[in-house]
Amino acid sequence: MTVLTWKIGGPAGFGIMSAGPMFAKALKRSGYSVQGYPEYPSIIRGGYNCYHITFSNESVFSVYKRCDILVALDKVVFDNEDITENMTVIADFDSIKLSEDIVCKKIHIPIKNILKENDFPDIVKNSIALGASAKLLGVDENIVFKLFEESFPAKVVNMNIEAAKKGMQYCENVIQNNFKPDDKVKDYLVMTGNEAIATGAIKAGVGFYSTYPMTPASSILHYLAGVAEKYGIIVKHTEDEIAGIIMAIGASYAGVRAMTGTSGGGLSLMTEGVGLAAMIETPLVIALSQRPGPATGMPTWTEQSDLKFVMNISQDEFVRIVLTPGDLKELFVMTFEAFNLADKYQVPVFVLTDKFLSESHFCVDNLEYDGLEIDRGYIFEGDESKPMDFFPRYKEFKNGVAMRVNPGTPGGLFKAPGNEHDDFGFVATDSKTRIKNQERRFRKENYIKDELPLPKLYGNENAEITFVCWGSTKLPLMEALKFTEKFNFIHFSAVNPINWEDVKNIFKGKKLVAIETNFTGQLASIIAEKTGIVIEDKFLKYDGRPFFVEEILDFVERGR
Amino acid sequence: MKAMEFNSGKIPVWCPGCGNFAIWNAIKGALADLELNGKDVVNVSGIGCSGKMLNHLRTYGFHTLHGRTLPVATGVKLSNHKLTVIVNGGDGDGYGMGAGHFIHAIRRNLDITYLVHDNHIYGLTTGQASPTTDKGLKSKSTPSGVIDEPLNPLAVALNAGAAFVARGYSGEVEHLKELIKEGINFKGFAYIDILQPCVTFGKKYSYEYYDERIYKLDESYDCTSFENALKKVWEKDKIALGIIYKIQKDEYTSLHPQIKEKTLLETTGKIRDISEELQSFK
Ligand SMILES: Cc1ncc(C[n+]2csc(CCOP(=O)(O)OP(=O)(O)O)c2C)c(N)n1
Ligand code: SF4
Repeated sequence: MTVLTWKIGGPAGFGIMSAGPMFAKALKRSGYSVQGYPEYPSIIRGGYNCYHITFSNESVFSVYKRCDILVALDKVVFDNEDITENMTVIADFDSIKLSEDIVCKKIHIPIKNILKENDFPDIVKNSIALGASAKLLGVDENIVFKLFEESFPAKVVNMNIEAAKKGMQYCENVIQNNFKPDDKVKDYLVMTGNEAIATGAIKAGVGFYSTYPMTPASSILHYLAGVAEKYGIIVKHTEDEIAGIIMAIGASYAGVRAMTGTSGGGLSLMTEGVGLAAMIETPLVIALSQRPGPATGMPTWTEQSDLKFVMNISQDEFVRIVLTPGDLKELFVMTFEAFNLADKYQVPVFVLTDKFLSESHFCVDNLEYDGLEIDRGYIFEGDESKPMDFFPRYKEFKNGVAMRVNPGTPGGLFKAPGNEHDDFGFVATDSKTRIKNQERRFRKENYIKDELPLPKLYGNENAEITFVCWGSTKLPLMEALKFTEKFNFIHFSAVNPINWEDVKNIFKGKKLVAIETNFTGQLASIIAEKTGIVIEDKFLKYDGRPFFVEEILDFVERGR
Repeated sequence: MKAMEFNSGKIPVWCPGCGNFAIWNAIKGALADLELNGKDVVNVSGIGCSGKMLNHLRTYGFHTLHGRTLPVATGVKLSNHKLTVIVNGGDGDGYGMGAGHFIHAIRRNLDITYLVHDNHIYGLTTGQASPTTDKGLKSKSTPSGVIDEPLNPLAVALNAGAAFVARGYSGEVEHLKELIKEGINFKGFAYIDILQPCVTFGKKYSYEYYDERIYKLDESYDCTSFENALKKVWEKDKIALGIIYKIQKDEYTSLHPQIKEKTLLETTGKIRDISEELQSFK
């Protein structure tokens, strides 16, 4: 047994989404590496919510299909979960009558009675369940109580502690695991991908974040809004995504580090803004958290299906940077670096994530790195001797890049135009200027390429098959690697612009299989376009769920 | 700087007689009278003949996308509130494409000045009906005549809660200049709809048409009364020029503790210590 999995389920509105992450933290504080994965529909009450935790004394990267311990707070859980013989199910079996043919290891907790006898409100059901789970898994009760203190309003803390204690009484049989808790892990961080993006942006000195809420990107907005005053950031929930991106561009034009974030539907609205940022060469960082679509699609589910969208977004051709981080560290560092890249090259920079990575919880040792430095690129400091002069803001200074000017700078007057323009920003449509500008703007790619990470090989160099993935699919592959040497994988943490000649070398002699959560294999198609290498074998999933570890192992066993 | 010195040096390409010339002169005069420096002014322009204003001012400038003037201006002003931000756009740009942003900019009451060159027509795209074109008017896109009711943008502004609503006219440059000065001095969102004859495509709305109908509001008019203002903007045969409504409201930047003293530009963009932030994830 290398990992154990625990899941809590119930209707929306039952507090599953706070109980789950809280228990993940409790396990981490006990010294286990954890990964927490939420599933929920886009409704506020009813439906089925669940939160799945995988934990171990070794590093845990991703989610399994399997569930060892299921906490069923309502009958709805049994309609949604496959109950197996080996499963331990914690439920109030007085109120939930199961059909005879459902066999599992039952732990009965008379939740209804406990509520009634103690005059507890319904919402403490979760705490009863957490108490039982803690007991079952040998989590120190004080860890749980401390989490209650940190998370609940003071006046209800005691009630929840009492409720948890009741739950504990019904769980005498502790599940034995041979995990030795690791003291180091107790000090690790448990956070979501969106929290890694938000903290990366804070670290990078972000000044302005504006957007319109859209799952699964909204929690970046919420996080930054929550700390806006503390860090002196202006965070705006605008009238729509168009205003969101355009406002951020206005802020960036004024010299402030600006960012926006959304999902595919919002990015559809922002499309014109991406082109504007590119044309006026104003730095912009855009976090894109993907979900299945098109249109409204499946708001609370995951997919990696917007890669080609961002590769081609907005009319005509222009340089854009596409980063595809695969875990918390990459998200944090790449969001930080996205601001540097945007400033240095004055192009839109996309940081791609998806619902799985954005909203799941992962464990990481630390995110405070030495060596992170801010680079704002070339900025004209001004000339007091001729304050009202126009400045050649779009004249090449170095490597295809021109000097930025913040409005207010003496002698730096220029026009930032959506139109094609001369060096000063005045409209120009003559063929010489157009050619000069296009060539200069695209020249930046040569230099960006050298700064972006090449795809990286994980696992045994000589494995039989090599999966090719990007973004969050790194995580289930990392987890699956623990069990077999039959495969290795190549992960792209950046897709554009990169040195494709080097990529060809990395691919050499390998039996490649594209693995992506989309219908057509978008990275594979980009690889074919850029290198001529056609990856025939594809393992694709498009049901709104990430790859489960078992699915990858099955595929490897089957040989395809 | 003198008014003349606000010329960028680029020769305007508006049709001879176009109302935009007067607006250009009024803006330059206002900036000069207020003793502003071109380097401290950002002019955000929309797309249209109106937006070309950008090329002719010796100030910083941002030529945004069609309809997207106000979000740009908002981002700029919040990032550096020491700048004077002026917005120039057309009626198509502001009342069609940008109508949503218009209402929300009013809600924010940010200290910017919004000049709408209202020629009741799309100029740059050679004469299609705009949201303010009167019913029945035949245009390239409405060959049988417009059947939509025209928008009354001043009424929209008033009802959305605007704190400064004014109307100017290209035929009255001095008056317009004074309005723009009032707008720039106003601590909040100053909205000025400018009657701007388009001599090429907006033939109905000519100088003669306006000269017969306009009159200037004088001291006897109380511009702090909402009822007065509503009456003025719904007047049928006459067209009032001047400040139609003006009240004091909280200005938007003042509601942001982040920029109470220094600008966002001055305080952000530096590496932050987030060790305390990370503690909460343990
Ligand atoms: C997204 C987009 N759609 C359409 C256009 C074409 N276009 C340019 S200006 C304009 C209308 C301008 O009318 P108005 O705002 O009244 O300005 P005017 O030229 O009359 O000053 C249109 C439709 C565009 N530039 N961008
Ligand atoms: S078309 Fe109309 S608005 Fe445009 S420049 Fe000519 S007169 Fe002015």
